[in-house]
Amino acid sequence: MSHLLDRLNFLQSKELEQFSNGHGQVTRENRDWEDTYRNRWRHDKIVRSTHGVNCTGSCSWKIYVKSGIVTWETQQTDYPRTRPDLPNHEPRGCARGASYSWYLYSANRVKNPLVRGRLLKTWRKMRATMSPIEAWTKLQNDPVLRASYVETRGKGGFVRATWDEATEITAAANAYTTKTYGPDRIFGFSPIPAMSMISYAAGSRYLSLMGGVCMSFYDWYCDLPPASPMIWGEQTDVPESADWYNAGYLLLWGSNVPQTRTPDAHFYTEARYRGTKSAVICPDYSEAAKFGDVWLNVKQGTDAALGMAFGHVILREFHLDRQAEYFENYCRKYSDFPMLVKLEEKDGRLVPGRFLRADDLDGKLGEENNPEWKTIAWDETSGGLVAPNGSIGYRWGEQGEWNLEEKAKEAETNLKMSLIMEEDHDDVLGVDFPYFGGDATEPFATDADHPEVLTRNIPVKSLKTADGEIKVATVFDLYCANYGLDRNLGGDWVAKDYDDEMPGTPAWAEKITGVPREKIIHVAREFAQNAEKTEGKSMVIIGAAMNHWYHMDMNYRGVINMLVMCGCVGQSGGGWAHYVGQEKLRPQTGWQPLAFALDWGRPPRHMNSTSAWYAHTDQWRYETLEAEEILSPTRPEGDWDINLIDYNVRAERMGWLPSAPQLKTNPLEVAKQAKAAGKDIPAFVAEQLKSGELEMSCEDPDAPENWPRNLFVWRSNLLGSSGKGHEYFLKHLLGTDHGVMGKDLGEEGRQLPKEAKWHKDGPRGKLDLLVTIDFRMSTTAVYADIVLPTASWYEKNDLNTSDMHPFIHPLQAAVDPAYESKSDWEIFKAIAKKVQEVAPEILGQETDIVALPLLHDTPAEVAQDQVKDWKKGECDLIPGKTAPNYIPVERDYTAIYDRFVALGPLLDKLGNGGKGINWNTEHEVQHLRDLNGEWKDGPAKGCAKIVTDIDATEVVLMLAPETNGEVAVKAWDALSQNTGLDHTHLALPKEEEKIRFRDIAAQPRKIISSPTWSGLESEHVCYNAGYTNVHELIPWRTLTGRQQLYQDHLWMRAFGEGFMSYRPPVDLKTINKDVQDDGDTLHLNFITPHQKWGIHSTYSDNLLMLTLNRGGPVIWISENDAKKANIVDNDWVELYNTNGALTARAVVSQRMKDGTTFMYHAQEKIVNTPGSEKTGKRGGIHNSVTRTVLKPTHMIGGYAQQSYGFNYYGTVGANRDEFVVVRKMKNVDWLDREATQKEAAE
Amino acid sequence: MDRTLKAISLMLSYPTRELQEAMPEIGGVLASDTRMTAAMRRALRPLVEALRDEDIYDLEEKYVMLFDRSRTLSLNLFEHVHGESRDRGGAMVSLLETYREGGFEPHTSELPDHLPVLLEFLAMRPFAEVQETLADAAHIFEALSERLARRESPYGAVFAGLLQLAGVKADKEAVAELLEQPEVDPNDLEALDAVWEESEVRFGPDPNAGCPQVRDMLSRMDLPATPAAPTPGVAAE
Repeated sequence: MSHLLDRLNFLQSKELEQFSNGHGQVTRENRDWEDTYRNRWRHDKIVRSTHGVNCTGSCSWKIYVKSGIVTWETQQTDYPRTRPDLPNHEPRGCARGASYSWYLYSANRVKNPLVRGRLLKTWRKMRATMSPIEAWTKLQNDPVLRASYVETRGKGGFVRATWDEATEITAAANAYTTKTYGPDRIFGFSPIPAMSMISYAAGSRYLSLMGGVCMSFYDWYCDLPPASPMIWGEQTDVPESADWYNAGYLLLWGSNVPQTRTPDAHFYTEARYRGTKSAVICPDYSEAAKFGDVWLNVKQGTDAALGMAFGHVILREFHLDRQAEYFENYCRKYSDFPMLVKLEEKDGRLVPGRFLRADDLDGKLGEENNPEWKTIAWDETSGGLVAPNGSIGYRWGEQGEWNLEEKAKEAETNLKMSLIMEEDHDDVLGVDFPYFGGDATEPFATDADHPEVLTRNIPVKSLKTADGEIKVATVFDLYCANYGLDRNLGGDWVAKDYDDEMPGTPAWAEKITGVPREKIIHVAREFAQNAEKTEGKSMVIIGAAMNHWYHMDMNYRGVINMLVMCGCVGQSGGGWAHYVGQEKLRPQTGWQPLAFALDWGRPPRHMNSTSAWYAHTDQWRYETLEAEEILSPTRPEGDWDINLIDYNVRAERMGWLPSAPQLKTNPLEVAKQAKAAGKDIPAFVAEQLKSGELEMSCEDPDAPENWPRNLFVWRSNLLGSSGKGHEYFLKHLLGTDHGVMGKDLGEEGRQLPKEAKWHKDGPRGKLDLLVTIDFRMSTTAVYADIVLPTASWYEKNDLNTSDMHPFIHPLQAAVDPAYESKSDWEIFKAIAKKVQEVAPEILGQETDIVALPLLHDTPAEVAQDQVKDWKKGECDLIPGKTAPNYIPVERDYTAIYDRFVALGPLLDKLGNGGKGINWNTEHEVQHLRDLNGEWKDGPAKGCAKIVTDIDATEVVLMLAPETNGEVAVKAWDALSQNTGLDHTHLALPKEEEKIRFRDIAAQPRKIISSPTWSGLESEHVCYNAGYTNVHELIPWRTLTGRQQLYQDHLWMRAFGEGFMSYRPPVDLKTINKDVQDDGDTLHLNFITPHQKWGIHSTYSDNLLMLTLNRGGPVIWISENDAKKANIVDNDWVELYNTNGALTARAVVSQRMKDGTTFMYHAQEKIVNTPGSEKTGKRGGIHNSVTRTVLKPTHMIGGYAQQSYGFNYYGTVGANRDEFVVVRKMKNVDWLDREATQKEAAE
Repeated sequence: MDRTLKAISLMLSYPTRELQEAMPEIGGVLASDTRMTAAMRRALRPLVEALRDEDIYDLEEKYVMLFDRSRTLSLNLFEHVHGESRDRGGAMVSLLETYREGGFEPHTSELPDHLPVLLEFLAMRPFAEVQETLADAAHIFEALSERLARRESPYGAVFAGLLQLAGVKADKEAVAELLEQPEVDPNDLEALDAVWEESEVRFGPDPNAGCPQVRDMLSRMDLPATPAAPTPGVAAE
């Protein structure tokens, strides 16, 4: 409306009243037109929420709502203020989050429950006469009916269903699977709980009540750096981004902060204003490189060589030629440098062996408790050997000495780091170290020529024992030799001069990495100088670029070694900052009972996804990497010539890694047999395994009894984003069209596995049912049988935390879920309710048997100080000691829903805890009954209610020490018992503080310090990892109790990784004559970094973000490489190898390093992806050319810090060693016409 | 109630068995509405028959593929007007208020801009107002009609019918603009490439071209000073 009619054009009223000295006047004309502007920005309410995407942002946003519709969002700016001299946190947020409200009303939104049309049609027909269970049973037993929907996965054909029907099919399938094969055939995959922990818990709680399998993610994503558990016994603990500001020297190594850590990047900028110096290490000229005072353009995959050279310079200048006092003291107290290592003889030569233990000595140094787990050092004070406090032997079976005081029991000690002085050693002997640099494949090879074993002189002490003479050396002396430093002990393979091309020197690293030696020396020197002057304020920010390589441990250990040598770990402004998929679930111990239904039954079924997908998608059938290629030339005697899957089988058998499924026989059946035989369950299983009556599933992954049958994917895009070996998923797990071009081991005539049974033909279509829960039609949804529409992040109540800042943040339902969607909490409640309805036909109260591996932070972590396989007769099968434990768990399939919505009785009975401590929690459980209400009857009578998602948040907040000060005090008190030191002062001032959901809705709240984490939240320091180890003398949870730079497990030594060294990328042999077409000659290393236009795959189908990028999949290549294949910018190109093919446009850029191609992950194949000329199918995603490859050292278990924990340790899905052929596409074919006609005809 | 509009609202809703049973009656309503030409009424017949006779699962699969999964065929009108813009929230709020002023409270999980919802509302309004509203969306109907025709879908006729009811010809430029947009649905990928293609970026001044902003400004100054008649389109409200 123009209001033209209401306005006076030519006249002005004379009755005007004036005010403010004639500056203002009152008019009498109609002013309605102004409302247009008022209304434009008027809203009914503003709700605080955030984006529960896997980005660690946890940024606070204001969501504006008008008439029940979200109209826009803006960044919140009300974070609690920081202390003086620290910049504030806000504003947080980025372009991706700001474009989110689009998803709510997008045409991409899943609006209704969708079911594959052919499945639903058959289902309804059968349901007319049969019960749900009968219908599903019939459907599964009819191969034609099953194939009719299985083979159409990914090819459209969805129809809408009601919630009732969709949940009924799901429930029937779950119940049938439980009854027929066992509950451990129901898998669920959902990543990173921290981003929306209640939504995660909804699914995992349901699965855990059923006995289903919760699959890990952090290791599968290859974001877990196994070096962290190896060195610290800690999954990953890192500083918050504000602590960057406290650093004096910031090394960005393979991390692209301005691009991928957008809301935190301001601290990096601000630190530079404070005078912090920054060096950036990455192969390409990245966004971060622009921030660096110096840029080291290292060749991709060779970072460990650079790390060695840095270490070489630091050792030379700060530990050997001059001993920096701060570094010396730090290393003596907080590292394993003083510990003694036995030198073992092999073929008349010496190699570093196991740590010397009290058990090796006559009289065991008087240690009766765990002498085989107490490491030994030379003490200057007493002039003899001591077992210093804090080693893992002190952690279990006794109390009070598990601490880092410089004591052995009560005696003061002063440990010796080196035996270099004449009077300290008995001899100087040659010790062998493996050298892997010579194994490099052509793209990484240099002209240097070094043998595969380097013998270096070491000062050695001889100890006489009843069993004979033992030769020992300190870790520090071996460590210096490993870095190639000449200490005037004579012998070869050590250098005095940085210009010597001896392994370890800057000159040697220059050849491998392409970084000039002067720059290496310069950066190493400055890094250490700063650390010395500031007592540890040198920090390394490290990213996926370092961790996604097969030999990631070498990269990471190179970095961590530098930090430990310079005393940076545990110091404010120092240490490592690994930010890859690592979201800190701050209230973890409060969340676990809810998430894994520990209130009803323990333990839950946890599985390491990498091993599971490797087995169940049959990627092992195509394994090209042989153990021989990665074993050490110095390995101990042993049966090492087996396939990688065989190592995994042995690891599962010895109880190192979990198994899913566990046994070939349904565990419910096994329990019945045990009961019938009148036998104790663990003993019965042990007996049957030994006799061969029972078989572990891992020994025959392709037998139909051992397939996973049902899979839930929620909060995740497994097939479109994280699924390494995408085409193998399609071929074997889903059984639909795929692009695998390679041949399996049988066809290739390679060595077949010895432990895993080989079937001539790999099975297709293992899954009976794939249920995807998402709010958008992602690639995983497209391949599902059932798609359930879920609430988006402005439509549900949840909790969100991050490691990047110390606040706990809510997600809130600003509006009701759009269309037919429901929150994850409500969805799993609905499924649970259906199960309760349909399952009693075949299931009642059942005893399940859960196979539990030897877990970290439990007494089982000191189960196996020697490697012995019961199946080879090397020891007896003792559940929980030499094999997994087999624990009965009672399930009630008639009360799945009733249990889901009630806080079960076990918390009152068993208490709560985590990371090796436990506390009583009766008080909190009573509080929850009072707060949430109590069930008055039914199977959960007397239990607190958990009906709504807000009820669920209250459970977490009440039980967690981080959000309940009273619990924090109890937790610190429990830890104090172990260490013998009083830590409660860290929480006592906050004892009365209890954070509830409405508190964080009002403002994000800072969490309370808890022993779950190694850093502190206080008004004096920013959160930083390892802080309480250094300042509260709490041991690291490792064998030695210290930061452990030497790894002595048999398998670590076998694979040559006792010490850190440079290992070139492995040869995956995925480009061969069979697959490569004539004329295609450009081979590039395929790198998949985090992108700028999305968070993994989220936002990558968002038009705003597509417009900022190129509107579909792209790869980046250098100008020189492009020229070789006649590619110009924006050309369509095809990338392929034996794993599959993908299509994308080329971005030709000077910033790229020759020899590499980047494909930022994860660009969906639902947007703008033409057909591949190679496969004839639609071009794949970035993971179409990858396949995951396991590393045996990640399977180690039952050995202190190298023990399994969910997402803590285990195999990881590395993918960066891959090479692809890149070629220009001749024809861009969208594969649309034929498909359309064919579908029309159907 | 305007039974023709109500009929079209039903035909554009997710197919159900109930709808299939009602199709003879719906067909009758459409066949007897003389506001549409005889040719138009004939053109609607294939859809009426398809909805009446085909297997319900086939109908459902097609509906999901067309209207749920193809963004360019979305029945949410503002998808075509505002797309990903944050103006979309505000526009929906205005539409919601229009329904309320008309005496109705939406009672559905569909959003206010869902075409069957709008049509049902219009079925209760005076025809002059109906025509005005439909005219505003004429260019969208034209574009949808053409896209559906390209896929040989009988649904296209419905939109042609709506155009006749509106009694206007869609603004050609507005239609062309919509049709230029990419087809991003899972089956019709043909048009994708051309549309996603970015215009070439050139660094440094092109000697043959002036500054685009100045050129646009000058061309606007060439227009007569009186305000132009409001262009049809929901965005103009």
